[in-house]
Amino acid sequence: MLRSRADMATTTAGARPLRVARRPGSLELIADGFREIWTHRRLTRYLVRADLKKHGSDTLLGNVWWVLDPLLQMAVYVILVSVIFKSGKEDYPLFVFSAILPWKWFSSAVNDGIMSVTQRERIIKQVKFPKIVLPVAAAVGGIVNFTFGLIPLFGLMIFFYADRLSPYVVLIPVIAAVQFVFSLATAVFVSAVNVFFRDIGNVARHGLRLWFYLSPGLYAFSDVAGRLDGLVGRVLSLNPWTPLFESYRAVIYNETMPDWGGLTGLLIVSAGLLCLAILFFKRVEPAFAKVL
Amino acid sequence: MSIFRQAPPKTLSSSDLAAPDYAIDVEGLGVRYNLRLTRQTTVRGSFRNLLKRNEGPTHFWALRDVSFRVVPGESLAVIGPNGAGKSTLLQVLAGIIQPNEGAVDVVGHISSLLTLGAGFDQDLSGRDNIRLAGAFLGIPHRVMEEQLPGIIEFADIGEFIDASIKTYSSGMRARLGFSIATAVDPDVLIIDEVLSTGDAVFRAKSKQRIIELTKNAKGIVLVTHDMAWVTEFCNRALLLDHGHVIKEGPPEEVVALHEERSEQARIAREAELARKIAAVEGTQPSPAS
Repeated sequence: MLRSRADMATTTAGARPLRVARRPGSLELIADGFREIWTHRRLTRYLVRADLKKHGSDTLLGNVWWVLDPLLQMAVYVILVSVIFKSGKEDYPLFVFSAILPWKWFSSAVNDGIMSVTQRERIIKQVKFPKIVLPVAAAVGGIVNFTFGLIPLFGLMIFFYADRLSPYVVLIPVIAAVQFVFSLATAVFVSAVNVFFRDIGNVARHGLRLWFYLSPGLYAFSDVAGRLDGLVGRVLSLNPWTPLFESYRAVIYNETMPDWGGLTGLLIVSAGLLCLAILFFKRVEPAFAKVL
Repeated sequence: MSIFRQAPPKTLSSSDLAAPDYAIDVEGLGVRYNLRLTRQTTVRGSFRNLLKRNEGPTHFWALRDVSFRVVPGESLAVIGPNGAGKSTLLQVLAGIIQPNEGAVDVVGHISSLLTLGAGFDQDLSGRDNIRLAGAFLGIPHRVMEEQLPGIIEFADIGEFIDASIKTYSSGMRARLGFSIATAVDPDVLIIDEVLSTGDAVFRAKSKQRIIELTKNAKGIVLVTHDMAWVTEFCNRALLLDHGHVIKEGPPEEVVALHEERSEQARIAREAELARKIAAVEGTQPSPAS
């Protein structure tokens, strides 16, 4: 007899006495969510691979775009800031690139996360499976793009900015890990919200752009720290992307240690947000098949 | 409806308790849809709903007071007109939708053949879709890899198996969906209107496969409009209408009642139509006046 892992989970839950009205507690739901992510990691992997295959096969240059895309975006900002505004810094291309690369991962995690549940509407209505793997796959998918983006990054560093290359670059994965927890929490949350409010996508498109400009990506935090007070200053200092951008830039551009304090704080906050996002997702998950 | 009537949404698998004498037990099942929370709502829509809170019905019951039992070895046909709640019932049995009232208990591993192939990923090849479907169904990787050649052979897709699904004809899709869904022997099989997929040759083949599965499965619930199948292969039938059980019993009797009711409904519809036409013609001024 064949029995899937999902069924085993219900079997253990079924050991409780029959037909007792009980709403699972919050901690239980969070634990369930993490367990489902773990037991269905193969499904996540298939979903990620399916997504990558799709992106690569439709276009003329295929996967070359993963390398080209951040470079072209870098060129746009360099032209805008260095050529037109004449306010670029020394080695500005590398400076911007260290921000574009992680931001592309985050924005794709958010955008794909928003669509992740609603686009699988049909399978949700015919098969029982933990829906949480869908936003998880969206957040994980960006890792591959990010990794490919490291190729042009190291290309730039080796051929043009060899003097900025330092051993600190080995810390990039550590910063990326913190970013991943934060992205995952965001993707899980927005994927569930979009089932009920389909206009989240429109909000996110503009919200993300504003968020990028309110984060020290095109400029350094120190450039504006003295000038800003009140609301914008507070937004900037509470912005999770401030420690992330500053840390990436520290190891790539400034040849220094990342902002450990900021990263640790962000990791703790993100872990908390992830638990809340999973709790929210698990609470509304039973309604998905009916609402979609 | 007070919230206290909201029974535990629960699908138990009680194979670890004392062996029950049924494959499926459904008791007082009710499924309610909230009409305020339907698809494609927007923020603006929800504000509008908040303002109009007290107007119109807020929800409707797709199923209500549905109770039945399927004993091992039994094959139950669910019939009824469109919108009777047949598909909702199968979704509840498969664990996709949780009941608002009552309890559902299914013993063992369930396989659901609900609308075949609807979950295919258009941009992936047939082979990748088989693997993805296996992962969605929770079938272990090793088992799926073993089944893969058999699935491809049964579906009879040929070299197209490595081409993307969007190049497939609807018959090919249906065949692939059918062979994935029936690849693994389930304890309880749930089938939604799959007996009429593909061409005549494939229909015969799939009928054979269903009969085979029927022999091995502990219980079967199927929804179909093919009344010949109901009387030929099912031990029992359940007639649903407007979410309620109208009749349950031997297939011949239930099918007869269903056909009688459909006939009545058709006559009533035609009479209504004739009355409307007459009313429209009556209001037109006659050429004489």
